[in-house]
Amino acid sequence: MSLEARAITVSRGGREVLMEVSLAVEAGAVTGVLGPNGAGKSSLLLALLGALADGLDAGEVTLEGRPLSAWSAGERAQRVAYVPQTTELTAPLSVRSVVAMGRQARTGWSPWSQLGADEVVDDAMARTDVTGLSERRFDELSGGEQRRVLLARALATEARVVLLDEPAASLDVGHALSLYGRLRELAADGYAVVVVLHDLDDALRFTDRALLLREGREVAMGPTPEVITPERIETVYGVRMRREAGLRFEEMKA
Amino acid sequence: MAGPVPPVRTALVAGGLLAALAAVAAAGLQLGAGSLDDPTHGAIFLELRALRFGAAVLAGSGLAAGGVLVQGLFRNPLASPSILGTTAGASLGGQLVLLLGGGLAVSVRPEMLLSVGSVTGALVALLVLLALLRKGADRVTLLLTGFVLSTLLVAAGSFVVSVAQEQHELGRAVVAFTLGGLGGVGWAQVILAAPLVGIGLVAAWLWSGPLDLLLSGETEAAALGVDVVRARRWVVVWVAILTAAGVALGGNVAFVGLVVPHALRRIVGAEHRRLIPLAALGGGVFLAGCDVIARLVPTRAEMPLGVVTGLIGAPLFLWLLRKTVTT
Repeated sequence: MSLEARAITVSRGGREVLMEVSLAVEAGAVTGVLGPNGAGKSSLLLALLGALADGLDAGEVTLEGRPLSAWSAGERAQRVAYVPQTTELTAPLSVRSVVAMGRQARTGWSPWSQLGADEVVDDAMARTDVTGLSERRFDELSGGEQRRVLLARALATEARVVLLDEPAASLDVGHALSLYGRLRELAADGYAVVVVLHDLDDALRFTDRALLLREGREVAMGPTPEVITPERIETVYGVRMRREAGLRFEEMKA
Repeated sequence: MAGPVPPVRTALVAGGLLAALAAVAAAGLQLGAGSLDDPTHGAIFLELRALRFGAAVLAGSGLAAGGVLVQGLFRNPLASPSILGTTAGASLGGQLVLLLGGGLAVSVRPEMLLSVGSVTGALVALLVLLALLRKGADRVTLLLTGFVLSTLLVAAGSFVVSVAQEQHELGRAVVAFTLGGLGGVGWAQVILAAPLVGIGLVAAWLWSGPLDLLLSGETEAAALGVDVVRARRWVVVWVAILTAAGVALGGNVAFVGLVVPHALRRIVGAEHRRLIPLAALGGGVFLAGCDVIARLVPTRAEMPLGVVTGLIGAPLFLWLLRKTVTT
């Protein structure tokens, strides 16, 4: 499963937000996309998803060697899954129905294909620890619970590439750790995980590789500890970086 | 499938609506000017009332299912074909057909073309609305744009009415169609509208999967495998067909497409494969019930159907709006 952006340039609202950025998504690894606000991180994710309204200005995104645009929406959905930063879903739907949305690209659109039990849905819910919420209404869950349900929906697609836009934003420390733990497990199972994130400490702890962006351009790409250096952080973020022992939180194993 | 809406509840709602439909049918066949016991005219009264009941059910089903679809399409529970100008478009299309059909004195009877005019009018109104809306327009912008479009189309419709007044018979026909009401409905209209409602409902139901995914917004729906452009295009066609069939039968009847889906969504949830058939049933019950009320009100002339649905629907809409704004 290979998803690759080659020297892509993207404009949104008449402004170039990405310039000649490349990223080869790697199976079995968590890749972090880093950079200050407005660096083009979310745009890169949408480009990898093929969801930019106006497409690319230059370069190309390929999936298994074919241009992304040559795949149908259904074929793409079976290969690349997406977890948005915030969902626009506010309708009264059960958690289980939301997770089951991830199945439609595989099972077909007909109303009767959505009936009956689905082990993939059960499994996705168990992996993200939302089985207990199954009968609850999605629009009445907390932000953290919703995020886990959206991850379950992404897993239910059985896509092996998972793109996440700031999945830990607004999560408390416990839920954030738990979520990153899940992402590490996915990578260990051979998934390719791409995650946009703000917290550099989280990036160092939970990602294998990182792409650092600034104003739409690549600053560095490689193993995360090599990308996050004091000099680069000073240039890109305008802050001084010091390594020192502070508080450290870890998930408690049951 | 399990959900917050146990199948039992869906079955109860469906059963309740069927019982209500039977009750409204019984009332609709019994009530009205003239006695069924009349030896010479009893059978005719019965046929006319049955026809009228059938037309009310068809129109209500079309308008309510159309409401479910536009609410899904725009992800806005306050959208409805009447608020977005779709019914006004269908109405204008129908009026134009009556006007031109009458003026041209063509060999085809105007009511045969009424459906074509209404479908075209509804489709044009929806396409204009989509063209006017920028991507990601918020709820209020959608409602305001729809309101302005609706007002424009109603004004154009009033112009058609005033032109039609120059010929007495034509003027009467156009005014009757504009006000709405099932009093003068004939076999031809019912036979023409029934397949439209049937096709629209089945097609809409078959699209319930993508419609569910579109509730998450276009980016997420596309990521889940929906061809968003294609889905939108077809849903617009089904809305136009359903709304137009409703308008061709009952005229510009407001609020059915808003109130019925909204009430049902609260009880059975937002999944379209449940909501579309139940809204169709509920819309039929609501409009046939309003038609019975229109006959019961002791005025000299029969109260127009659009007045009854408006008197019930407008306060309900305001209540919903208040609830939506506060949440």
